[in-house]
Amino acid sequence: MGFRSYLLKRLFYAVVVLFVILTFNYVLFRIMPGDPEKMILDPNFTPEAKMELRRQYGLDDPPLTQYLNYMKSLLTFDLGMSFSTRRLVWSELRERLPNTIVLFMVTFVGTAALGISLGVSSAANRGKFSEQLVMGAGLFAHAVPSFFIQLLLLLLFGYYWPILPIHGTISAPPPDGAWAQFLDRAWHLILPAGSNIVIGFGSWALYTRNTMLEALGQDYIVTARAKGLPRREILYHHSLRSVLPPIVTLIFMSLPGAVSGAVITESIFSWHGVGRYLLDATLQMDYPAAQGAFYLIALAVIISNLLADIAYGLVDPRIRVGAGAKR
Amino acid sequence: MALLEVKDLKMYYRTARGHVRAVDSVSFEIEQGKALGIAGESGCGKTSMASALLRLLPSNGSYHGGSVVMDGKELLTMSEEQFRKDIRWKRISMIFQGAMNALNPVHKVGEQIVEAILHHEDVSREQAVKRTHDLFGLVGINPKRFNEYPHEFSGGMKQRAVIAMALACHPDLIIADEPTTALDVMVQAQILKSIAELRQRLNLSMMLITHDLSVIAQTCDSVVIMYAGKVAEYGDVVDVYTRPAHPYAMGLVNSFPNIQAARTEVRSLPGFPPNLLAPPSGCRFHPRCPLADEECKQVEPAVREVGGNKHMVACHKAEIVQQGGDIWSR
Repeated sequence: MGFRSYLLKRLFYAVVVLFVILTFNYVLFRIMPGDPEKMILDPNFTPEAKMELRRQYGLDDPPLTQYLNYMKSLLTFDLGMSFSTRRLVWSELRERLPNTIVLFMVTFVGTAALGISLGVSSAANRGKFSEQLVMGAGLFAHAVPSFFIQLLLLLLFGYYWPILPIHGTISAPPPDGAWAQFLDRAWHLILPAGSNIVIGFGSWALYTRNTMLEALGQDYIVTARAKGLPRREILYHHSLRSVLPPIVTLIFMSLPGAVSGAVITESIFSWHGVGRYLLDATLQMDYPAAQGAFYLIALAVIISNLLADIAYGLVDPRIRVGAGAKR
Repeated sequence: MALLEVKDLKMYYRTARGHVRAVDSVSFEIEQGKALGIAGESGCGKTSMASALLRLLPSNGSYHGGSVVMDGKELLTMSEEQFRKDIRWKRISMIFQGAMNALNPVHKVGEQIVEAILHHEDVSREQAVKRTHDLFGLVGINPKRFNEYPHEFSGGMKQRAVIAMALACHPDLIIADEPTTALDVMVQAQILKSIAELRQRLNLSMMLITHDLSVIAQTCDSVVIMYAGKVAEYGDVVDVYTRPAHPYAMGLVNSFPNIQAARTEVRSLPGFPPNLLAPPSGCRFHPRCPLADEECKQVEPAVREVGGNKHMVACHKAEIVQQGGDIWSR
């Protein structure tokens, strides 16, 4: 039992949350102002033609039927056809998804690595200039609205010092050869991912520093020092390791925020991804497209929360036992 | 020659309102294979002494003189790196209050011991694991529990694990800081018994820090009674307990009921320990002392020998105290 029952419980919660989110998602798009018909119907159509189109899209069904159809098709990944492009939403999302995942992963790994290591070094160098510099810069970047920093970078690298690409995921036309394409993609990633890392590392560094300082005051750190362990070992193996559970939780708890951040980042840097697709679809009252993107993002958030629970159970031995036999 | 010789050791804490003289001109010796007890009220500098010997001062602590010599080598001026590698745990180890937080909650208990061995000795991992199993057996923990985490251990077992850890690198001196304070009396007795047995078997020297005089009577050869960061009285346990020469030591000894003697009321010492930021003038004990006179208020008493056998005391009135009589009921 133990870890397994803990996992099953988390999995059950995840399914419940998904159901609730999908229901909200359905209601939300139907109470938004504006009428989708105007997006797809020519005003010159005859009322009969209008009715026929409404029937084709299922817009004349009662709300409950629409809801059941909606649920059924989402579960089978049949996301319908976009009102504006008349293409299948799922195939449109599928080609954008890898771009979003790449941007997200690079941002995530970069932010966590930079933030946590700077946090550890700040805790180790408490009161010194380097700590104040890291904390000051991190808090500043965190406090300024993210789009503002990104727009400044856009201005800097797009206009004054145009050495980095500010637009898209790959050059048009793409260079020849897989390796050249890979490099070209990485080159396009620098600004969007880099700006995200700059914006995000501060809260990581601050949180890591604070929990580290608390850990460094614990008795077991005195034990580790008394044992004659080297400083590095004490910092990483004993302090950081013992505060990893709350840090990991915070990492995964920040994922939903990272997803909404992706909408902004992708829009500013014209990144061909799911976030930008969601924004465009919403602005165009494109129900199926927006709902599809929303569905995907909700799934991503729920899965990352599930991952958080698993990771938490793995890094903190007390959770493994606490969730199992003893309770 | 003594194994460890502490002379005039001064360690102060820096605070916003001045220096706190936590350890102030403390001197004592520990002989090879002997046990020394350090006793005193909370806040008298006992634990500060322990951290000063292992050079584990908090960031606001600093040395203000004195020396700590082990086998003829001065420990306080040794380079940090050399001290860490050659002294910590290898020659001087420490038994912490294991029931509290001395073990890291996220590492396996066995690994925390293996780690100490691997850092100080050139042995393979298998050998270190093997030795840890032996140590578990030595202190009475089933070696099968090597892979368990601290939260799976009871308080008494944690304390045993902490003792096993202190023995890991065959040290010459073990500093035990309140090793039984958080445990219930039964477990306390077991732990003290195993410490005493292990000491005999391994010919270990020990410095035992506690506020519990009965623990010292049971396990130690000599005793230092500290008051307000200074040595009040120092000598053989029997001498100090039977013929205390400092009013404070006498008060401490009297404040323990004797189950074999006639029923008397247990005495407590009136007053509170002084503020070490601004200790009293002259003898630091004078505001609480029934014998205090003008001299005690003005002149700080030197540590001097009374009645031979290296029985040292810092009191102007030691002779009156030793004459017997109940000074505390005057």
